[in-house]
Amino acid sequence: MAQNLKLLVPLHVSYIQNLGKSQDELAYHLTAHLRMNAIYWGLTALYIMGHQGALDREEMIEFVMSCWDEEAGGFGAHPDHDAHILSTLSAIQILIMQDALDRLDVDRVVKFILSLQQPSGVFSGDSFGEVDTRFLYCAVNALSLLGRLSELDVERTVSYIRECRNYDGGFGATIGAESHAAQVFVCVAALAILDRLDVVDQQTLCWWLSERQLPNGGLNGRPEKLEDVCYSFWVLSALSILNKMTWIDSEKLVSFILSAQDPESGGIADRPGDMADVFHTQFGVAGLSLLGYPGLVDLDPVYCMPASIIEARGLRKGWKSLPRKSL
Amino acid sequence: MHSVRRVRQSPAAIQEKKERERSKIAEYLALTNDLISRKKNKDWSRDAFDATQRLLEKNPEFYTIWNYRRNILLNGIFPSSTPEQINNILADELMLTAMALKEHPKVYWLWNHRRWCLQNIPDGPIVDSTSSMQWRNDNWNKELAVVEKMLNADPRNFMAWNYRRYVLASMPTQRPELAELAYTTRKISSSFSNFSAWHQRSKVYTSLWRSGQLDPVKSRDEELELIHNAIYTDPEDQSAWIYHRWLMGSGDDESQLLRELAVIEELLSEQPDSKWCMDSLVYYNKLLLKKHRPHSTELREKCLALLQQLEDIDPPRRYRYRESGDSAAPHPVVQ
Repeated sequence: MAQNLKLLVPLHVSYIQNLGKSQDELAYHLTAHLRMNAIYWGLTALYIMGHQGALDREEMIEFVMSCWDEEAGGFGAHPDHDAHILSTLSAIQILIMQDALDRLDVDRVVKFILSLQQPSGVFSGDSFGEVDTRFLYCAVNALSLLGRLSELDVERTVSYIRECRNYDGGFGATIGAESHAAQVFVCVAALAILDRLDVVDQQTLCWWLSERQLPNGGLNGRPEKLEDVCYSFWVLSALSILNKMTWIDSEKLVSFILSAQDPESGGIADRPGDMADVFHTQFGVAGLSLLGYPGLVDLDPVYCMPASIIEARGLRKGWKSLPRKSL
Repeated sequence: MHSVRRVRQSPAAIQEKKERERSKIAEYLALTNDLISRKKNKDWSRDAFDATQRLLEKNPEFYTIWNYRRNILLNGIFPSSTPEQINNILADELMLTAMALKEHPKVYWLWNHRRWCLQNIPDGPIVDSTSSMQWRNDNWNKELAVVEKMLNADPRNFMAWNYRRYVLASMPTQRPELAELAYTTRKISSSFSNFSAWHQRSKVYTSLWRSGQLDPVKSRDEELELIHNAIYTDPEDQSAWIYHRWLMGSGDDESQLLRELAVIEELLSEQPDSKWCMDSLVYYNKLLLKKHRPHSTELREKCLALLQQLEDIDPPRRYRYRESGDSAAPHPVVQ
């Protein structure tokens, strides 16, 4: 179906550049609560495509700093929005990719993050919020990037993840919840950062993960569900961390991701023929990088950031992606 | 964006849409700016409370405004309200978010807000100088009905399932777990493909066995019948096969393992290309090898032959089958 498709890099670069210029669309304003995440997705995708300079650095750093919530000591998703762990991790990741971590009050952010840990070991997203293994991953990732993992109660954190493990090898959002590929990514990546992959039933989990691939090459997130480009990353990252990338058909997956591109306006959608968005653009490109797609920059599947940046901070774990193919 | 079809629009149509949206954007931003400045000024008034509703109806994902709304309740409205009034206000909140969920069944912030409301429901009116649990009971019972409606609309909505487990665990008057088992039976009967319900069933059984309410041996036989029904209905549906592995556990019961292998062999003879039959046969034969017959060359060869067939019929996962063969074949199993 998509044998001859190529990744339309220049088109995706201009798609991402134009996202910030659509203030005359209602959807732009209705998604303000995701702005910080969207910038992280856009910047990471650009980095992986080798165009990290395509967005203005100073403007981006100023925007990130304008989202600082002085009362809470974390970042909101947009100026005047409340601090949340999702946007706080994105802010830290952006500042690191832009080599501007000196702008951050690290002590205060660390205090904010640690304040969200619950007695069970899981993290809440904010002072009101529910708990979720996603938030636990955000906390572990951020503390690791800031070099402050030593302040985390690792045993309690790992014990919560262990409680979320299901008999199919996967992990859910909370104790008792059904396994879901995105929650598998956050739990496995958090364990990788904490050097505790011994908690994973690797054989069973990789069996379950490899069964996420459907005949059209795309991956789903749970048994008997539809494929979606974003699972290319959630499933692949876990397979890469557990060194089982060969357990799915990489060529068919590459074709599926490429077929979900918008060949006119750029960007990648959840599946072929749908509207593109920056979230699926990022996770599609991230998946392609792990699959060894030619011309792309290596992505670190544990932190979902450029591998060279993670290596420079001495945080590289033992994951393996497929060898980069030549053009 | 999930499942929104791409439609090519002419430049004129795009321009027209932008014109139409211009006044909506202005209205939305004016409301947002008004609320953000009220929030900064710690305006805990009823007027501000009503304004948050207008904004949240336009955008239920604006989490900062949900936070503000809860702070208005906590700081401005609850302190001057009677418990009965608080109960009524929170009942209205639950109604408001139930309506929103119909349109936005996967918005985390709506589920969160309901959680917070339920946690803050006062116990109930004072009867004979003691506080009854009437309000709490009423609202939590209603909540289970709301989740059930959500799961009728989308039986795989994992947020609704997660929330359901939360409600069941938090209800002031606990429902018997056998009722939850019956619920999963209904869900599975209407679709064998509902893995969410199979998953829930594994959790409920674990708890029922642990508390001694059901006998694991007896339940297992009944469950196997249900699974056989499912795999014969659609041998390529993963759901029941995955659940089967949970039920068989570590394979300590040799005779049961042999019975299940015979059932799957029979199904394979009817469906000679069934990948899930073959994959399961390899899995259970390996268990048999490991637990009961460590020296059986015959079993080992059977596994290798099946794995070879699997490589041919399911090439995307061929490396997995190859590795599985490596672990079944060359080295003798150490006892």
